[in-house]
Amino acid sequence: MKNRLKLLRAERNWTQAQLADALDVSRQTVNAIETGKFDPSLPLAFRVARLFALPIEEIFHDEDRRGSATNMKTGSCIDSR
Amino acid sequence: MNELKPAANGYQSRTRTNVKRLFYWNGVWGAATALMAVGPKFLWNKAMGFTLLSIALDIAVGIGMILANKKYIAELDELQRKVQLNSMGVTLGVALIAGVPLSVMDAYHVIPFHADIAYLLIVMSITFALSNLYGTQRYR
Repeated sequence: MKNRLKLLRAERNWTQAQLADALDVSRQTVNAIETGKFDPSLPLAFRVARLFALPIEEIFHDEDRRGSATNMKTGSCIDSR
Repeated sequence: MNELKPAANGYQSRTRTNVKRLFYWNGVWGAATALMAVGPKFLWNKAMGFTLLSIALDIAVGIGMILANKKYIAELDELQRKVQLNSMGVTLGVALIAGVPLSVMDAYHVIPFHADIAYLLIVMSITFALSNLYGTQRYR
Protein backbone atom coordinates (compact mmCIF):
# COMPACT_ATOMS: atom_id res chain seq x y z
CA MET A 1 0.00 0.00 0.00
CA LYS A 2 1.33 3.44 -0.93
CA ASN A 3 0.61 6.65 0.96
CA ARG A 4 1.12 10.40 0.85
CA LEU A 5 1.75 10.77 4.56
CA LYS A 6 5.24 12.25 4.26
CA LEU A 7 4.09 14.81 1.70
CA LEU A 8 1.02 15.83 3.71
CA ARG A 9 3.09 16.12 6.87
CA ALA A 10 5.71 18.24 5.12
CA GLU A 11 3.01 20.56 3.73
CA ARG A 12 1.93 21.28 7.28
CA ASN A 13 5.49 21.57 8.66
CA TRP A 14 4.85 18.85 11.19
CA THR A 15 7.65 16.68 12.49
CA GLN A 16 7.33 12.91 12.71
CA ALA A 17 7.36 13.21 16.50
CA GLN A 18 4.48 15.72 16.47
CA LEU A 19 2.46 13.53 14.14
CA ALA A 20 3.20 10.48 16.27
CA ASP A 21 2.01 12.33 19.39
CA ALA A 22 -1.20 13.40 17.68
CA LEU A 23 -1.87 9.86 16.45
CA ASP A 24 -0.90 8.31 19.80
CA VAL A 25 1.74 6.05 18.25
CA SER A 26 5.54 5.93 18.33
CA ARG A 27 7.68 8.04 15.99
CA GLN A 28 9.10 4.80 14.64
CA THR A 29 5.60 3.78 13.52
CA VAL A 30 5.06 7.05 11.65
CA ASN A 31 8.42 6.60 9.94
CA ALA A 32 7.67 2.96 9.03
CA ILE A 33 4.33 3.98 7.49
CA GLU A 34 5.91 6.85 5.55
CA THR A 35 8.62 4.63 4.12
CA GLY A 36 6.12 1.92 3.23
CA LYS A 37 7.68 -0.64 5.56
CA PHE A 38 4.48 -1.00 7.56
CA ASP A 39 0.82 -0.77 6.58
CA PRO A 40 -1.39 0.75 9.28
CA SER A 41 -4.54 -0.95 10.52
CA LEU A 42 -7.89 0.42 9.37
CA PRO A 43 -8.55 2.28 12.68
CA LEU A 44 -5.13 3.97 12.51
CA ALA A 45 -5.64 4.85 8.84
CA PHE A 46 -8.96 6.47 9.78
CA ARG A 47 -7.26 8.42 12.57
CA VAL A 48 -4.71 9.69 10.03
CA ALA A 49 -7.52 10.67 7.64
CA ARG A 50 -9.39 12.51 10.40
CA LEU A 51 -6.24 14.37 11.42
CA PHE A 52 -5.53 15.57 7.89
CA ALA A 53 -9.27 16.14 7.24
CA LEU A 54 -9.04 14.14 4.04
CA PRO A 55 -10.82 11.06 2.72
CA ILE A 56 -8.84 7.94 3.51
CA GLU A 57 -8.34 7.09 -0.20
CA GLU A 58 -6.59 10.42 -0.74
CA ILE A 59 -3.89 9.38 1.71
CA PHE A 60 -3.61 5.63 1.24
CA HIS A 61 -3.95 3.76 -2.01
CA ASP A 62 -3.49 0.24 -3.21
CA GLU A 63 -0.30 -0.25 -5.24
CA ASP A 64 -2.12 -2.62 -7.57
CA ARG A 65 -5.18 -0.41 -7.95
CA ARG A 66 -5.82 -1.16 -11.61
CA GLY A 67 -5.51 -4.90 -11.07
CA SER A 68 -7.91 -4.75 -8.14
CA ALA A 69 -10.46 -2.80 -10.16
CA THR A 70 -10.31 -5.39 -12.94
CA ASN A 71 -10.70 -8.20 -10.45
CA MET A 72 -13.72 -6.50 -8.92
CA LYS A 73 -15.33 -6.12 -12.35
CA THR A 74 -14.79 -9.73 -13.33
CA GLY A 75 -15.78 -10.92 -9.90
CA SER A 76 -12.56 -12.86 -9.49
CA CYS A 77 -12.14 -11.48 -5.98
CA ILE A 78 -15.07 -13.58 -4.81
CA ASP A 79 -14.07 -16.80 -3.15
CA SER A 80 -15.37 -19.58 -5.39
CA ARG A 81 -15.10 -22.33 -2.77
CA MET B 1 3.15 25.93 11.35
CA ASN B 2 -0.24 24.35 11.99
CA GLU B 3 -0.44 23.37 15.63
CA LEU B 4 -0.98 19.72 16.35
CA LYS B 5 -2.77 18.66 19.48
CA PRO B 6 -0.99 15.72 21.12
CA ALA B 7 -3.18 12.91 22.44
CA ALA B 8 -3.91 13.12 26.16
CA ASN B 9 -1.47 11.09 28.31
CA GLY B 10 0.85 10.64 25.31
CA TYR B 11 2.15 7.38 23.95
CA GLN B 12 5.75 8.07 24.99
CA SER B 13 5.01 8.81 28.63
CA ARG B 14 2.55 5.92 28.86
CA THR B 15 5.12 3.52 27.42
CA ARG B 16 7.81 4.86 29.77
CA THR B 17 5.54 4.25 32.77
CA ASN B 18 4.73 0.74 31.55
CA VAL B 19 8.41 -0.08 30.96
CA LYS B 20 9.27 1.12 34.48
CA ARG B 21 6.46 -1.01 35.91
CA LEU B 22 7.67 -4.02 33.93
CA PHE B 23 11.27 -3.56 35.15
CA TYR B 24 10.02 -3.27 38.72
CA TRP B 25 8.01 -6.51 38.52
CA ASN B 26 10.88 -8.29 36.75
CA GLY B 27 13.27 -7.22 39.52
CA VAL B 28 10.89 -8.29 42.29
CA TRP B 29 10.27 -11.62 40.56
CA GLY B 30 14.03 -12.17 40.19
CA ALA B 31 14.47 -11.48 43.91
CA ALA B 32 11.56 -13.76 44.88
CA THR B 33 12.96 -16.53 42.66
CA ALA B 34 16.43 -16.14 44.20
CA LEU B 35 14.89 -16.29 47.68
CA MET B 36 12.98 -19.45 46.75
CA ALA B 37 16.13 -21.04 45.28
CA VAL B 38 18.67 -20.26 48.01
CA GLY B 39 16.40 -19.74 51.03
CA PRO B 40 15.79 -23.38 51.97
CA LYS B 41 19.52 -24.15 52.16
CA PHE B 42 21.00 -20.91 53.45
CA LEU B 43 18.25 -19.06 55.30
CA TRP B 44 15.76 -21.41 56.96
CA ASN B 45 17.49 -24.79 56.98
CA LYS B 46 14.92 -26.50 54.72
CA ALA B 47 11.96 -25.75 57.02
CA MET B 48 8.96 -26.86 54.94
CA GLY B 49 6.66 -23.99 55.98
CA PHE B 50 9.07 -21.28 54.84
CA THR B 51 9.85 -23.16 51.64
CA LEU B 52 6.15 -23.36 50.75
CA LEU B 53 5.73 -19.71 51.65
CA SER B 54 8.61 -18.68 49.37
CA ILE B 55 7.12 -20.74 46.53
CA ALA B 56 3.72 -19.08 47.04
CA LEU B 57 5.41 -15.65 47.09
CA ASP B 58 7.30 -16.43 43.89
CA ILE B 59 4.10 -17.50 42.09
CA ALA B 60 2.17 -14.44 43.33
CA VAL B 61 4.92 -12.06 42.20
CA GLY B 62 5.15 -14.00 38.92
CA ILE B 63 1.45 -13.36 38.30
CA GLY B 64 2.07 -9.65 38.95
CA MET B 65 4.90 -9.71 36.40
CA ILE B 66 2.68 -11.42 33.81
CA LEU B 67 -0.05 -8.79 34.33
CA ALA B 68 2.51 -5.97 34.01
CA ASN B 69 3.80 -7.52 30.79
CA LYS B 70 0.25 -7.93 29.48
CA LYS B 71 -0.51 -4.25 30.18
CA TYR B 72 2.76 -3.18 28.56
CA ILE B 73 1.97 -5.08 25.36
CA ALA B 74 -1.69 -4.01 25.30
CA GLU B 75 -0.67 -0.34 25.40
CA LEU B 76 1.98 -0.55 22.70
CA ASP B 77 1.08 0.76 19.28
CA GLU B 78 0.38 -1.70 16.47
CA LEU B 79 3.89 -1.74 15.00
CA GLN B 80 5.58 -2.27 18.37
CA ARG B 81 3.06 -5.00 19.14
CA LYS B 82 3.93 -6.69 15.85
CA VAL B 83 7.65 -6.56 16.72
CA GLN B 84 6.91 -8.08 20.15
CA LEU B 85 4.71 -10.79 18.64
CA ASN B 86 7.40 -11.76 16.13
CA SER B 87 10.02 -11.88 18.89
CA MET B 88 7.78 -14.04 21.06
CA GLY B 89 7.11 -16.39 18.14
CA VAL B 90 10.82 -16.80 17.41
CA THR B 91 11.58 -17.28 21.12
CA LEU B 92 8.89 -19.96 21.50
CA GLY B 93 10.20 -21.79 18.44
CA VAL B 94 13.81 -21.65 19.60
CA ALA B 95 12.79 -22.81 23.10
CA LEU B 96 11.13 -25.88 21.62
CA ILE B 97 13.91 -26.60 19.12
CA ALA B 98 16.63 -26.18 21.76
CA GLY B 99 14.74 -27.55 24.76
CA VAL B 100 13.66 -30.95 23.51
CA PRO B 101 17.07 -32.04 22.09
CA LEU B 102 18.81 -30.72 25.22
CA SER B 103 16.53 -32.85 27.38
CA VAL B 104 17.13 -35.93 25.17
CA MET B 105 20.89 -35.35 25.21
CA ASP B 106 20.77 -35.14 29.00
CA ALA B 107 18.69 -38.34 29.28
CA TYR B 108 21.16 -40.31 27.13
CA HIS B 109 24.27 -38.70 28.65
CA VAL B 110 25.34 -37.14 25.36
CA ILE B 111 26.27 -33.98 27.26
CA PRO B 112 28.56 -34.12 30.28
CA PHE B 113 26.33 -31.79 32.39
CA HIS B 114 22.76 -31.73 33.67
CA ALA B 115 20.35 -29.91 31.32
CA ASP B 116 19.16 -27.34 33.81
CA ILE B 117 16.09 -25.20 33.03
CA ALA B 118 18.31 -22.14 33.60
CA TYR B 119 20.17 -22.89 30.34
CA LEU B 120 16.91 -22.79 28.45
CA LEU B 121 15.94 -19.49 30.12
CA ILE B 122 19.26 -17.98 29.06
CA VAL B 123 18.76 -19.15 25.46
CA MET B 124 15.21 -17.75 25.48
CA SER B 125 16.33 -14.39 26.90
CA ILE B 126 19.10 -14.00 24.32
CA THR B 127 16.79 -15.06 21.48
CA PHE B 128 14.09 -12.61 22.55
CA ALA B 129 16.55 -9.73 22.92
CA LEU B 130 18.12 -10.40 19.50
CA SER B 131 14.83 -10.78 17.64
CA ASN B 132 13.47 -7.66 19.32
CA LEU B 133 16.57 -5.75 18.26
CA TYR B 134 16.20 -7.09 14.71
CA GLY B 135 12.52 -6.09 14.59
CA THR B 136 13.24 -2.62 15.92
CA GLN B 137 16.04 -2.07 13.39
CA ARG B 138 13.94 -3.43 10.54
CA TYR B 139 11.25 -0.77 10.89
CA ARG B 140 13.57 2.08 11.87
